[in-house]
Amino acid sequence: MNAIETHHVYKSFEGLEVLRGVNLRVPAGTSYGLIGSNGVGKSTLMRLLLGFLRPDQGVVRVLGSSDPQRILGRVGYLPERLRYHLRYTGREYLRYLGQFNGMREPQLSARINDELRFFDLTSAADRRLDTYSKGMLQRLGIAQAMLADPELVLIDEPTSGLDPSGQREMLDLLAGVRQRGHTILLTTHMLHEIEHACDVVGILSGGVIAFETNVAALQQLGQNIAINVPPLPDAFVARLRQISPAVRYVGREITIEPNSLTLQTRVLRFLLDANVPIISLFPLRRPLEDIFMRVISGETVELPAPPELPQATGVSNGMFAPPGHPDATAHQQQAAAPANDDLLQALLQHEKHDEA
Amino acid sequence: MSTIGRALRFSGFTLIEYMRSNRILVEIIVTIAVFYLFMWRSPITADYFFSTSGLFTLALSFYTTSAILGLGDRPEGYLVLVTRLGRSGYLLGLYFAALVVEFAMFGLLSLGVALLNRIADLSMLGWLLGTVPLLLNVALLSALLTLLAPIVLTGGWRLFVLALVAIAFSGSLINGPTLETLWDPVITALSVLRTIFSTPLLPAFTGYSLSVTRDYSGVNSIIPLTQLLLTLGLLALAVYAFARREIILSGS
Repeated sequence: MNAIETHHVYKSFEGLEVLRGVNLRVPAGTSYGLIGSNGVGKSTLMRLLLGFLRPDQGVVRVLGSSDPQRILGRVGYLPERLRYHLRYTGREYLRYLGQFNGMREPQLSARINDELRFFDLTSAADRRLDTYSKGMLQRLGIAQAMLADPELVLIDEPTSGLDPSGQREMLDLLAGVRQRGHTILLTTHMLHEIEHACDVVGILSGGVIAFETNVAALQQLGQNIAINVPPLPDAFVARLRQISPAVRYVGREITIEPNSLTLQTRVLRFLLDANVPIISLFPLRRPLEDIFMRVISGETVELPAPPELPQATGVSNGMFAPPGHPDATAHQQQAAAPANDDLLQALLQHEKHDEA
Repeated sequence: MSTIGRALRFSGFTLIEYMRSNRILVEIIVTIAVFYLFMWRSPITADYFFSTSGLFTLALSFYTTSAILGLGDRPEGYLVLVTRLGRSGYLLGLYFAALVVEFAMFGLLSLGVALLNRIADLSMLGWLLGTVPLLLNVALLSALLTLLAPIVLTGGWRLFVLALVAIAFSGSLINGPTLETLWDPVITALSVLRTIFSTPLLPAFTGYSLSVTRDYSGVNSIIPLTQLLLTLGLLALAVYAFARREIILSGS
């Protein structure tokens, strides 16, 4: 069952078309991250889902209903800028919100205590909200969204306007919320939030969901890296390149793009075994960042297969890769390489030894 | 929980905020001032009490309803609360909160008179008979103000409703020689419109009169009912308009 379904949703404001046929499906139990540039319509979509706005065209269905009145209390919501009724204590505020949700005692008190404990607010529960720090108010914001144990939680730009430590704290909270198994839709323009808090990522661009994939698939791609080394002899560079076409050497810098943990390990081992000093190693753009930049520039993007290297099954086929994969080309190049490639053989022997 | 139940709980929430913010002091101070100026020093009659307090509570209703509905026109109020209360629960909660303050101030005024300047010709029954239409008028005015609140109607619709009210009241504004200078078809049209649009105001005017005279004989007995029906009609319109409106809050 889908917790959220939108079908060809259009929305404009004063003639400006913001959403141009959004099709979104979020299965129950999924944590879905919707990313997009500022002003692309993420909050508009969120408000359509909550019934604050109505679509010009198309269907919005949340928890199986198109009527916002029918999902009252079943959706938790953390707005982008949650401002509080600061004259209440944290406990009073949650108690009122729970009552508005239709919760009754003694379950309500138990839930309030649970959430205060989960979000580390127990000691401040009886203080007025105008004495809370920004971080405490953030935690209370998520606590109120989770209070009625909602089937769906909508979180709009959770780290917007926060300093780095506040962002860090919020990401930790979101990771905790994700583990509770609710369906979550999170909108953001901060790409790293997605990796922390989501199973699936969609990119909203040009008024539509222009790209969608599993975060796990993205993470499998690994983060592209660059390794600074001293000048390398041409023969060594040629051997390095035989590992995979994803490995390039330009101006004393080896880049691995696209990267995988296996490939990265292999390149580093290759360098260390050859006693090549590693001056520095630093990350290049993350795969999601790379895809995002391409999507918002209007490019049609398909997720590349991760450049995993297959396990070596013999002395000569350690570089085999699935058809179409960059490593497959590498293997073809290797086949044409001289048979007495001592360094490569040594590497493969080393690998076999490791696997044994 | 029913919409009314949620609305009543939300009224409590709004009232506590209203009191903790000390906004309630405005109403309390004004009520005490009115009591001191108009109802304390010399002996007063029941008619005087109801005519004076009737006008005062109507004026207070303008302020209190506007202030409380203004509290509702804030993102911190709407975004988190309406997903729990629903739109109708939210709007009715604000309306009920305004009514509680307005009724309480009339109660305070009545208490002051009862304790400090007792009215000789007013029994408890007489007070009740005068109070019912008076408070129904307050509820009626608050319902109209709720309908006209910026969170409920857009600017254009508010102007339209106000124009209707202006036409209804135009009998006392455009009259006699002024009216005669207009073109005949305009005079006729204005007269018809005035009759149509002033009809809904009849319960308010007659309600005020009933409060002062407390004479429920004959057709007067149905005046409170018409006041109540008009109030409910205006509230229903406000809830309907608010439910259909796309909410882009002025503070967001």
